[in-house]
Formats: sequence, structure tokens, C-alpha cells
Amino acid sequence: MADAGTGPKPSSSVKLVLLGEAAVGKSSLVLRFVNNDFQENKEPTIGAAFLTQKCNLPTRTIKFEIWDTAGQERFASLAPMYYRNAQAALVVYDLTKPTSLIKAKHWVAELQRQASPGIVIALVGNKLDLTNGGSGSEGEDAGGDVENDARKVSTEEAKTYAEEEGLLFFETSAKTGYNVSEVFTAIANAIPETSLKTARGPGAAHAAARTEEQRVNLNGARDPNAKEGCAC
Amino acid sequence: MLNLSNFVQKAQQLLDPNQGLNISDSDRNPSKAFLFQAQFRLPSTQHPLYEITAELTIPPANATQGDRDRERGYQYAGKLHLSESYLCFSTTPSSFLQSATTPTSSIFTGQTHGGGPSGNGFSFPLSSVRRVERLHSQNFQFALAITTWNGISQDAAKDKDRKDLKEQRITLQLAGSRPACERFCDGLKKGLRSNVGNVGKLKAVVGECYSEYLLRTEDKKNVNPPDAGLGMMFKYPGDPKKLRDRAKMRLWAEYLRDNGRNVTLIRQPTFHKLIRVGLPNRLRGEMWELTSGSIYLRLENPRLYADTLAKYSGQESLAIDEIEKDLNRSLPEYPGFQSEEGIGRLRRVLTAYSWVNADVGYCQAMNIVVAALLIYMSEAQAFFLLSALCDRLVPGYYSTTMYGTLLDQKVFESLVEKTMPILWEHLVKSDVQLSVVSLPWFLSLYINSMPLVFAFRVLDVFFVEGPKVLFQVGLAILRINGEELLDAADDGAFISVLKSYFSRLDESAHPKSENPKLRAVTRFQELMVVAFKEFSGITHNSITESRLKNKDAVLNNIESFAKRTAIRNLGPDSKLLSTDELGALYDRFYGVLYERQQRDHILKQELARRTKSTRTRANEGHATDDHGVEKGRVGLGPSTSLMDYDAFREFLAGMSKWAISDSPTTPRRELSGDRGSFYNSFRRSDAVLSPWGAGPEPADHEFLQRLFKKWDIGSASALTLQNVVSGMARIKGKRDIMGTINYFFELHDDDGDGKVDREGILRMSEALLFLSRRGLEGSLSPSSSTVALSGDSLHGGSDAPGQSVNERFLGSVSAFIRRCFEYADPDHPRNQNAIQDVQERLDAQKLEDLGDEELVNPDAFAIGDDDDDDDDDDDDDDDLLAMDSPTVSPKTGAIRSETLSSQPPLLQLNSSSTGLKTDDDTMNRRRVSKAQSEKANAALDPSNPLHITLPTFRMVVLADELLEQFFESSFPASFHILEGLSSSATPTSASSLTTFSSLGIGAGRAVNAALGGAPGAPAGGRGLRGVLDNIVTDGMRVAAEVRRRMEEAQKELEKNALPGQRNEDDDDDDEDETGLGRPLPGKGGAYRGDAERRSVRSSDRDLLTGADAEASDTNLAAGRTSTSGNGAGSSADTVVGTNSANKVVGVEFDG
Repeated sequence: MADAGTGPKPSSSVKLVLLGEAAVGKSSLVLRFVNNDFQENKEPTIGAAFLTQKCNLPTRTIKFEIWDTAGQERFASLAPMYYRNAQAALVVYDLTKPTSLIKAKHWVAELQRQASPGIVIALVGNKLDLTNGGSGSEGEDAGGDVENDARKVSTEEAKTYAEEEGLLFFETSAKTGYNVSEVFTAIANAIPETSLKTARGPGAAHAAARTEEQRVNLNGARDPNAKEGCAC
Repeated sequence: MLNLSNFVQKAQQLLDPNQGLNISDSDRNPSKAFLFQAQFRLPSTQHPLYEITAELTIPPANATQGDRDRERGYQYAGKLHLSESYLCFSTTPSSFLQSATTPTSSIFTGQTHGGGPSGNGFSFPLSSVRRVERLHSQNFQFALAITTWNGISQDAAKDKDRKDLKEQRITLQLAGSRPACERFCDGLKKGLRSNVGNVGKLKAVVGECYSEYLLRTEDKKNVNPPDAGLGMMFKYPGDPKKLRDRAKMRLWAEYLRDNGRNVTLIRQPTFHKLIRVGLPNRLRGEMWELTSGSIYLRLENPRLYADTLAKYSGQESLAIDEIEKDLNRSLPEYPGFQSEEGIGRLRRVLTAYSWVNADVGYCQAMNIVVAALLIYMSEAQAFFLLSALCDRLVPGYYSTTMYGTLLDQKVFESLVEKTMPILWEHLVKSDVQLSVVSLPWFLSLYINSMPLVFAFRVLDVFFVEGPKVLFQVGLAILRINGEELLDAADDGAFISVLKSYFSRLDESAHPKSENPKLRAVTRFQELMVVAFKEFSGITHNSITESRLKNKDAVLNNIESFAKRTAIRNLGPDSKLLSTDELGALYDRFYGVLYERQQRDHILKQELARRTKSTRTRANEGHATDDHGVEKGRVGLGPSTSLMDYDAFREFLAGMSKWAISDSPTTPRRELSGDRGSFYNSFRRSDAVLSPWGAGPEPADHEFLQRLFKKWDIGSASALTLQNVVSGMARIKGKRDIMGTINYFFELHDDDGDGKVDREGILRMSEALLFLSRRGLEGSLSPSSSTVALSGDSLHGGSDAPGQSVNERFLGSVSAFIRRCFEYADPDHPRNQNAIQDVQERLDAQKLEDLGDEELVNPDAFAIGDDDDDDDDDDDDDDDLLAMDSPTVSPKTGAIRSETLSSQPPLLQLNSSSTGLKTDDDTMNRRRVSKAQSEKANAALDPSNPLHITLPTFRMVVLADELLEQFFESSFPASFHILEGLSSSATPTSASSLTTFSSLGIGAGRAVNAALGGAPGAPAGGRGLRGVLDNIVTDGMRVAAEVRRRMEEAQKELEKNALPGQRNEDDDDDDEDETGLGRPLPGKGGAYRGDAERRSVRSSDRDLLTGADAEASDTNLAAGRTSTSGNGAGSSADTVVGTNSANKVVGVEFDG
């Protein structure tokens, strides 16, 4: 919080946790977002990796404290340690792997029941570059060309689910960078202003109050006026 | 301490006062063998056989050193221990005698002052002992001189006069009574003899040790060094100059020359000092495997690594997929892991380990640890060291639940709280979760937290002194950074403080100091000093205690997380059950699996103890596998998550009365082998040794098998939790009578073609009797509509003495069979004639069995008086039936009351089936009614394949109020998922309910009647309830009998080829009991009435078809609401069914 923002804008921290099946590209998304980089081989995440990145909104600066968790199934029992007090979560699945969406749904359910009540959850289908509609082109509709399309989870299916559960929804490619910063910007915008004033202050009672606010403001945060650019 | 759920726990305590025999007990009182193995890092095959106080004398270094100032050499007082294959000496005076107290046996877990748990001394494999001589000594009774195979790999028999290789010879003076010394020496002699064969193995194993190369003789100067890790190819991390690798190597060479190398090494204080300053690169691997004890694992099975790779070559597994993902990302900054060579080694070690320890498989972080090991050691060495790590040094760290990791985080937190209260308070206040930071430290043994050179220094000490080192270093890190950490307000800041600390470990700890010596101290050195001096109070013992204290909480957390996750991830079926029910099912499911595993383990132990105690006294009480005790608990990782049939029975017996066996002492089929006799022989001595533990013995019935098969969707002969939940959801979930009826039907529809044949019908009825034999549960009060319509008569009936629900149910089942046959569809209409004969014979048989039963209670309940208001269909039906069977009055109400009320007494007679006296009157009456009913019951002919369809089945069930209630309420209610049986069912054993006498622990094991479930309780205890039980069980027997006879008749029929050519002479013999074995009789009457019968039947059938159609439509909707009564469809069913009931009963039981 003492971190000097780029301008006089208020700056606040947001704890964000990444969850999802192994090898869906959680770390790659973070790496793309934080360093605008992509690596084929990254050391696996032991427990969780911690990174930070700022996101400048017109009215404020959000400093993301990103907890990138290990995806291997057996690390799942450690997850509560990391999503504790998280204000935002990115639940990632692999567009080419239907089971990863099932796992993602499990995570969403887990977060909805166990995490802070006001948590902003974004569902992210990664590896868009492996699909026909991928590689950063806006046109998702790939037409009749089914060849070479590794997509196994339709946009429609995931989107419908996301809407039912009230999640933000994106399809991204960490490899090409398509839609990655948009995810974080949207999350930054979706975090209710009120919950940012104090950022992650100490004290349980305080935290409870904060989550109350979030609960109240969550719906408001989703309205279209939150669609602002982010300079990250 | 079972924490699967409060309920399970309570239930178990209730049932088993001996519950003390559980895991925590072994935690708190580890076996002597376990402690012995832990102290000397020996494989789990080793047990402390003999021990004796002794003094070790290491002769002064001789010629090679040229320093003779210490004439007598080094002397150490301590204890000498002998196991099957090891001779160990330690200055730590722990004792592993059975009589020794636990503290005495675990002294080594206290402060070790840098000497490690095994202290100073040695752990010689007996195969490395070359010679033992008895010396003459004045001070002691016994003195032994031991010569070892030190340097065996270079021991060419010829060059006896090698000057470089001095023979290692030590003396041991035994201090003990003469017999004690002799016993020890005898043991040693035996051990030596049996280990002679292992010398070859030893030679091969030590050949891979770098020390052999380091101390090689002149003539072998040019041999290739053994593999000391990737470092030999890709350089070892760090600057060798800075690490002073050469100097260290010199010191080590000297030490090894004087004190023996690899397995013959003797630990003296210098050894531990040399380790503290950091091992030289090329000896690091060897010292790691020596100090961790993994070399002993290698020695035990030198080819395991290569064999495992060969055995599983080309096979795939989930673990391998996971390993592949991480191969390129394990210490990627080390050049060796940018090469195929390094990657290949890593792949092979991880893969081989995932095969030998499939429970652990592969866990991320193992790749990093193994990669680090591979820099310093060969693949095989790394493989065995990984085993030692996973099994002993950091147990549970890499398991599927990672409970070890989580537990040690809790322990670490508690240590921080205790040793650094201010910092702890700060952490709590600023809501920083310590384990977020420290977990990777422990999980990867600091390898990816610190620069590699320092992480390896930590590992050097870790392998000698054990896991406490991880804690000491962790605490020291926090202590050193305390000031800065107090300024960190959140996780992020906390992490960055430590990150920057780790990156500056090589810098001076006191850069501003005037004292150059102090300035030279690096931060890492400071860390080591703080860790081992300031936190010297952290011992293996205190860690163990803290682990014990936190274990349950951690496991509970993991389990509740696992449970939460598992329940949430159960398929859509699970939504049909309540969360509580799912939770209870989960607890029961894993509770049974856990229980069974524990029991199995205890039994195995007991068996091992028995076989052992007969062999050797000294061995007494040691189970072979001390590490396996903890298996089974969910939180400890994968034990099993599959439920086999026996476990399934036990699972059901925990919540359904009917699933409890009636005759517990009868060894069930799976116990018939020697296992069974073993159980039997132990049963009396200890309830826990019963194959079913303290719980009631589950029944084994065809119904259970069917249920199991039905639930076993993948046909894996085992159920997953998902299977169980889905299965249960279909029975209990919808609370919809139609659903339950359908389910029951499907259960008996073997080929899934929507038809259940004769066999199936009989099985169904058997199942119904089986399920009801302990009484019906659920709400049996009549449904509202029938109450309204039939008024008090039903109540009167059910309250009448001797007319209990169970009796009535029995009648309902009898009626069920009849109706089923009645309305069954023939598969091959041609064969219908045959039915008659069989039917008659059966009936005749029945007559004998039944004797006289004139008791008719016209006031008994009548179902479905409502059909008075019924539409035309019903009236038609009545007419048809009336035509068909003249004795039946057209007024259905009356018919019904007679029908139903006649059942209970009938059954009573059944139960006393010896009564064969039949008076003519009854006989005649029966004949009449029989002849009449035969017309309508051609369906009973076994030669005439027939089946009922689901709609028919539904109709038949709905025709009977009790059956309807059974499916609507009592069957689903008989699964007491939530409350279980312990409270509701077991206590009744005190009453005269004889079948429950078996539930009492032990007591019920007394011999019961052999007849399938017939209670053999003392006559005095027989109340009304006992009689009823008899009735019920006899009812089952009747069904079985009916079935047997049908089968026999079927066989006869087949023998007699065409049904039309039957021998008519046998007419009157069919009452003969032996008649069953004869050729089938034909009945003229039956033939004569054939045409008429057929016409009736076909019109009947048409009606039924109509009813079927209606039933399938309306009943789905009206099934539940049929209670509210006016629905034409459901009442139509009732009428048809009830009318036929009259007929059916008339034939089958009234003759």
C-alpha cells in the first residue's frame, strides 16, 4: 500500500489466486500478464508462486498480488491456504481439454462456498491459439473449418455456465497474449471500489466488514460502466 | 482415534471398547523395531535381536599415519546391537529390549549434539564382517576383535601384502553377564553365517561408492571412477575453490583411510564435524546415502532399480504423464538438466520410484529434489535415497494428500509461536500465513529456495540428523530476519524480505565489523550457527511430539477438505440426497474401508506374531511391517477408495437391519479357506480379530449381490464412492414409489430387456422376504386415501394380535408371487399346457405343508374398499374374475377381506410345517378351489417360459397395500444412512427378538441354528417376536422351497421332452413327497377346462394390458397421490390386483 503509484491516483492491493487443473497454463497467463513473456518450460509451481503486477485504471491503480497455485491434483488440499482472503480468482481451464472445465467447475464451486463471500471469479479458457478462432483474431466464429481445431470446449458451453454462476468469462491465449490483460483489467474493474479503500487490512472483524461491502456491491460492479481500459 | 465423523467414532466406541488398538497408539508407542531402525537408519527388515553394553576400541592409526602417540587408540562406551543382518554400535545408550521403556528406546531422538541419531559408532552389515576373534581379556569377560571387509572392492585375494590398504580391525569389549555375552556371541555367529552369502552383493554395492575410487590402490590408478552424479560431467554447482573442495577431499580421504569407508565407516566426532563444514562434491552422494541409510536399502536389493525399469519398460501411467510435464522444468538452470543425459536420468529415477511406490506416485517437488540428488549420485543411489526420503525422512510429504507437508507446517508454526512469540503475534496480526512462505522450504528441502550450494549444505546435515534440521534452519531464517519481517505487513512483503535474504546468503553476515574474522563469516554460516546452536533444543523428539499433537487436526482438515470436495464433485445423482446423507455415506464408505484395513493389518500382525513366537523368543512382539500401520485413513493418502463385495456387505450392515446376518457363526464362503479357520480360532480371544471387527456380521444374500452388481457400474467388482452414492440416490433419493419399484424391477432384470422371468420373480419374492425378515420400517400406516375409504378396518387388522405387519407382509409376498405368475406373459404360448401339471403338484405339496388352516378372520383389513366407486373397467374385471373362480363372491370387498385375513394363519401353519394331517373336508375344499384356480394359473409351468414386464410388476405391487408401502416407504427407509443401526437396532437384541441376539459382541457368536437363518435361541427367550421371526424365516424357506421344486419340475419336464405325451397314470401320486422326482403328472381336469381357461385368460390379459397402459401413464403421476385416492388409473390397478390376489392365494396356499 505504501507502494508509490505512477500518479496521484489511489493505489490498492488486490489478492488474486489462480486455480485450475495442471498444465492449463496458469503460470503462463501470469507470466504473460506480469512480464509479457511466454516460456515453454517453467519450473513447476511448488505450493504457490507469488508475483505482483500493477494495473492502472483511469481512476485508480490496482496492485495485483498474484498467487499462482500448483495444479497437480494432490496440491488441491493446499489451495485453501492460498485463496484465503483472496478478493479475486482466476479459474483456468484448457479449451482443448473438457476435463479441465469440469475441474474448473469444481474450483468455482469450492470458491463460492469456501472463499471470501465477495470474491470476484473469472473463468478463463486458455490455449485459444490451438483453436481456429484463436491467435488473437476477434472473430470467434471459425466457420465450417473443423480441421486442425483442437477446441473441445465450445465458447457457448463455458459462457452459459459462467453466466449461470455469475462469473467473468474470457478465452485467452497466454502464448499469443490474446485477451490476457483484458482478463485482469476486467477483474480490476469488477472489484468493488469500497473494498479497495482499505485494501487488505489486518483484523478479522475488519475483513468481515469488507466482505460485507463486497457482497453488497458485487452486482453493481458488473455494470457496463466498468468497461474501462487498463494500461498494463 | 477415528475422526471420520463423530458418529462413526461414537458408534465404534459403542461397539468396540477395545478401540485402543488404533493408529495413534502405534504413534505414541512405536515398536522397538521401528525405533531401532530409525536410530541406525536400517531397513524395515531389521529387528533388534540382541544388545549388550560394550566398549569400542579403535586402534591408533597405524603405518599410513605414522602417528603413534595414542597407544590405546580411541575408546567409546556404548551399546552394541545385533539384528538379522547388522551389527551396530552407538555411543547413544538406547535399549531396544522389550522390557525397556519407550524413553530408553528413544534416547536418540533427544539432543544429539551434532552426532546424529546414531551417534558415534558404526553400522556394519554382517556381510562386511570378515572375521571375529575372541580375545583374552582380564577386565572383561568377553572381548571380540572384528576385522572388516574394508576396501573389499579392491581386495584381490593375492596381494595380501598391499601396503596401502590397511586392514580395519576394531575391538569390542562386552560388559555383561557371561550368559548374556554368550547369547550375544551365539547370535552373532548365527548372523555371520547366514550373511556369508551376501558378500558378493556387498562388493557390488560398495563398488559404486566413490570412496573406493578415492582410496584405490596404486595398481588401480587408472580405473574409471564410479558415477558420482551429473556433476562429474556438467560440473558441480558453485566454485570449487570457494567451496575449498580439494581441502575437504583431503580431509575426508584421511578420515576414511583411518576409519573405514562406506559401509565399514566408523563414526567419530570428526566425521560429524566434516559434515557440518560441507561435503566435498564427489563424496557428497556417498555420504548422503550412508547417513540417510539408503545405502542399506540398496544393499538389500541392489538390482531393484534396474529391475523396476526393465519390468515396467514401455508402460504408461498417470504419474508418468505428470513426470513428463516437469522433466524440462527441474533445476533448469543447471546445465545437466538442459541435456538429454540429465533429463533421461531424472525421468528414469522418478518413473522407477512411481512404480515401486504407486501410492505416492509422483508429486511435484520430487522432481526438484531428485534433480538435486542426481547432481551428486548415480541413478540407483538417487532412487534409493528417494525411497528413504519418502518413507522415513519426510514421510507423507509427497503423498497424495501431502499430509506430512501440512503437518510439518503446523509443527513449524507452533515452533515459531513458541520460540519467537513477537514475530508470531505480528504474523497473526497482519494476517500473514506463515506456511505460504515456509511450505516450499520443506517440500523441496530448501533446494529451490536457497542458492543450490547452500541448499546442499543444509542437505548434508539433514541426512545425518534428520527432519529436525529443516525446522532448525527454518527457525533460524526467521530469527535472523526477524527485524525486517516485523516491518512486513503482508504476504507479499514477507516473501520479498526472505527472497532477498536468500539471494545474499554468500555475503558477509557482519560486513561492517572491525574484526576481519567476523567479517569473513557469511550469512550462510551465520544461519547454520543460529540453526544448530540457538535452536539446538529442537530435537527429533520435540518434533515427533508436536507432530503427534497436531496430527489429528491436520488429518481432520484434510479429510474434511477431501470430503467436501468429494461430495461436491459427485455427479448429478448426488443431488437427490441431502448433504447430510452424502456426508454420512462418505463417512460410512471410508469408515468401512478404513476399519477393514485396520482389521486386516491387525490380523496380519497377529499372524506374524504367532508364527514368529513359535520360532524365536527374542523376536517376540515385532511385526514385520511397522510402517504400514497407518494406512487406510483418508487423510494419510490413498489406501483404497474401492469397496469390494465384502466391504459392501459390511457397509450395508452398518445401516440396514436386513443386511445383518442371521447366523453369524457360519463361516461365510470367503472364509472357508485357511483364512476362515484362522479367524475362527481367534474369534473368542479378541473381538477385533473377527473378520467383521466388532460390528455385526453382515448377511450374504443374493439380493446383496444383485445390489452390488447393479451399483458396480463399471463392472469392476468394486464400488467407488460415486457408485455407492448413485446407487443409493436411486433408492432413497427420489422418495418416489414408482422410482423404487422400477429400481427393484431393474435389479432383477438381468439382461435389461425389461422382462423378469420366472426365476426372477422368485428371486424378487425372496428378496422381499429377505428385506422384511427383521420387520418393516418406515411409515406403514395406510395411505390417506385408503384410510379414508376403508375406515377402521385396516387399523383393526393391523392391531390385531398375531396379525402384525410382518405377517401381513409375508402374505403380501405370497400374493405377489401368485399375481406375478398370474399376469406374466408367456414367452412361448405353445407350452402353456404344461403349467397345469406342475401347478397341481406344487399345490398338492402345499397342502401337506399347510395342514389345516381354517382360521379366517373376516374382520381383517381390506385394502381398497374404494373400488366400489370404480368405473366400468373394474366391474368387468370383477365379473371376469368371478366367472373364473366361483367361490369368490362378486363383491370385492368381501373377497378381499377373506383373502388377506386368511394369510397370516396360513403362514403360521407353514412355520410348523410338520403338521401333515389334513382332514378330508379341507382337502376336498382345496381340491375344488385348486381346480378352479388352476384355470387361471397356467403361468406357473416352468416349461413355459414367461416373464413379467415392469408395468405388470408395478401393477402387482400396487395391488397390495403393504407392498406399496414397502416400496414407498419402508424399503427406502430401511437404509439408515444418517443415524445408522447402532442406536436403533442393536439394543433390541436384549428383547426376545432372537435374530438379533447375534449382534452382541462375542455372545452372539455362539452356535446358531444351521438352517438358513432359523433362529436357535433358547426357548425361554421366545416371545411373540420370536414366533414371528420363525414365521418370517419360514416364509423365506417356503419361497426357497417353491423355487427348488419349480426347478426340479423344470428338469423333469426337460427330461420328458414333449409336454403333450405325459403319463397320465401319475395322477394321484402328486401328493407324495417323492413325487417331485417322478415324471410329470397330467391332469385331465386341467385339459378339459382348457378352452374355457384360455378364453378367460385372454380376456383377463386384455384387461391387464389396458391396466398396464394405464398404470404406466397414470401411476407415474398418481403413484404418490394414489393415496388421495380417486384417480381412476390407480384404483383400477388396485381392483385388478386385489381380485387376482384372491385367486392367487386361493391356489397357492389354500389349494
